[in-house]
Amino acid sequence: MDRTDALRLEHVRRQQRRHQNSGELARLRREMDKTLRPPGVHPDRSLGITRRTFLHRSLLTGAVAGAAAYGWFPLLNTIELAYGAETFSFAWISDTHLYPKEVNTRFVEKAVRAVKEVQAMQPPADFLIFGGDLAQLGDPVELQLGNEILKELTITKYFIPGEHDWYLDMGATWEKLFGTSPWSFDHKGVRFIGLDTISHAPDYWSAKKMTPKERMAHMATLDSSVAGAWAAVGREQLTWLDRTLSDWPKDRPVVIFSHNPLYEYYPPWNFWVRDWREVHEVLRPFTNVTNIHGHVHQVLYNEIGTLRSIGMLATSWPWPYAPEGVPPLTIPMVRVDPGDPFDGVGWGKMTVRQGERVDYEYMMWRQDVLATAPWDAGTGDNINQILSPRLADRMWPYQ
Amino acid sequence: MRRQRRYWLGVLGGCLGLLLLAVPYGQAHKVKHTPAELKAFQEVFLEQVRLGDLLFHGDAETERQLGVRLSRTGMACAMCHPFASDTHPHEFPKFQEQMQEFATLREMINWCIENPNEGERIDPNSPAMKALEAYIYWSNRGSKLDPGRH
Repeated sequence: MDRTDALRLEHVRRQQRRHQNSGELARLRREMDKTLRPPGVHPDRSLGITRRTFLHRSLLTGAVAGAAAYGWFPLLNTIELAYGAETFSFAWISDTHLYPKEVNTRFVEKAVRAVKEVQAMQPPADFLIFGGDLAQLGDPVELQLGNEILKELTITKYFIPGEHDWYLDMGATWEKLFGTSPWSFDHKGVRFIGLDTISHAPDYWSAKKMTPKERMAHMATLDSSVAGAWAAVGREQLTWLDRTLSDWPKDRPVVIFSHNPLYEYYPPWNFWVRDWREVHEVLRPFTNVTNIHGHVHQVLYNEIGTLRSIGMLATSWPWPYAPEGVPPLTIPMVRVDPGDPFDGVGWGKMTVRQGERVDYEYMMWRQDVLATAPWDAGTGDNINQILSPRLADRMWPYQ
Repeated sequence: MRRQRRYWLGVLGGCLGLLLLAVPYGQAHKVKHTPAELKAFQEVFLEQVRLGDLLFHGDAETERQLGVRLSRTGMACAMCHPFASDTHPHEFPKFQEQMQEFATLREMINWCIENPNEGERIDPNSPAMKALEAYIYWSNRGSKLDPGRH
C-alpha cells in the first residue's frame, strides 16, 4: 500500500468513525436544542438519534431479504406506527412524475408496481398517503392516468399536491380528482395532518403574460429561478394548523405530511418552505412531531427543535444532493446507477414507540443503501464540485 | 576555423529564419486587448453557455434549430443534474463504469442521451455538443480539476 492509499484509507476510516460515533451528532443536536428549545420545556428524549437509526444498515439486511422474498421493489415507502397497544402501518408513495403513457412508460411502470405492492401489503396498510407530484406537467391526461393507477388501491387514500400537479390549471383538475388540502385526522393515537406547501407561489406569470403551459414549464424546472421561492405554508394555513393542534395534548404524536421539507435545506431548488420559521413557532409546544415529506427524491433526515423531518424517496428518479445545506444528521444514500431506472428509489419504515421516539429505516432493493465511503456517497463524491446558478433562465427566451 | 565560422553562420541563419516565421504570430500577440474585444470573446462563449443551458433543460426549439433529439422520454439532462450538478466535468477523462471504458465528457454526454433519455446520439464535434459542454463547464467553473477521479 503506498502513501496515497494509506491516506485515503485513513480518510475513509475517519469518515466511518464520524458516522458511527454519535459524538459529533450529539454535539450538533445539543447545539440546536439549546438554541431552539423554549425555556421551561424539558429536553425531549425523542430528539436523540436513536441507536436503531445507526444500526439500520444491519436491520436493513433482514428487511431486504424479506423484501426480496416477497417481491418488494424499492417503489414505496411504508411507515409502521405503534402507539400504545396498537400497531398499524401505512404506505407513502410520491413523486411519480407521470407523463402521458405514450411519452414515458418507465414512470408508469414504476407507479403501477408501487400501487400493486401497497395493495399486496400483509398485514394491509391502514391507508395510503400520496405525497404530491403525481404528474410531470400538470396535464389533466397525466393526472387522470395517475388517478386510474391509484384506483387499483382499495385502501383509504389521502392526497397532498405537488407543484407539478398544480400550475397548469392552478389546481382545478387536482382538486376535482383528489380533494382539497389541508386536512387532518386522528388514527390510533396519532394526529395526522396534510399540508399544501405548493400553491402559494408569488405571481410570476401575469406581468409576463405567460400561457398556462409556460407557467407550468417554469414551475416544473427544479433549477429555474423564474418561479422564485414558491414553496410556503402561507398565513392562512398556519392559522389553520395552530387551530387544528390547539386541542391536541402537547406530548402526543403528530405526523405532518408535506410535499416540501419544513425547514431550510436548499432554497434555490425550493428544498424548503420560505416560512419554515413560522411553522416551527406553531409546532414549538409539541414534543413529538414528525414531518414526512417528498420533493427531494433522496434519503434525508433532520432535527430542528422538537421537529424531526424525514425525506422520502421518489418512484420516478433520485435528485442529487444539493451543493450545500445537507443536514449533518443525514447519512447520505449511495450514488446510484443512472443506467438502472430502478436504482435510487426505495421505501422506508418508521415506528413510533409509546410516543417516545421515532425509529425509521430506509430500505431499497439493492445491496447497499447508505454510503460508507466518501467516494460512494451521494454527497462525498462532490467534494471538488463548485456549482453556479443558471444564466439562461434570466435571458431570452425565458425573460 | 572555417568550419567553425560556417557553423556560426548556420546558427545565425536558423535564428533569422525562426524570427521571420515568428513575426506574424508574435505581432498578433503583442497587440493588447481592448475591453471591447474581451467582451466580444465572452459574449461568444456565453452564447454557447446559453444554448447549452437550453438544450440541457429540454428546450424543443433549440433542439430543432441545432438538429438534435436529446430525449424521447420527456427526461431532460437537468432533471437528474440541476445546476449541472453531478456531471463532474472536472473528473474527465476517466474510466467510466457504465461504459466500461476510458471516456471523455463528450462520450458520457452521449451515453446519457442514449440511455436514460433514450435520445439520438449526437456528433461529438457538433455545435450541440460544444454548447452542452460549454454549459456544463461553465456551471462547474471553480471546481477542482481532478481527472480520473471516480
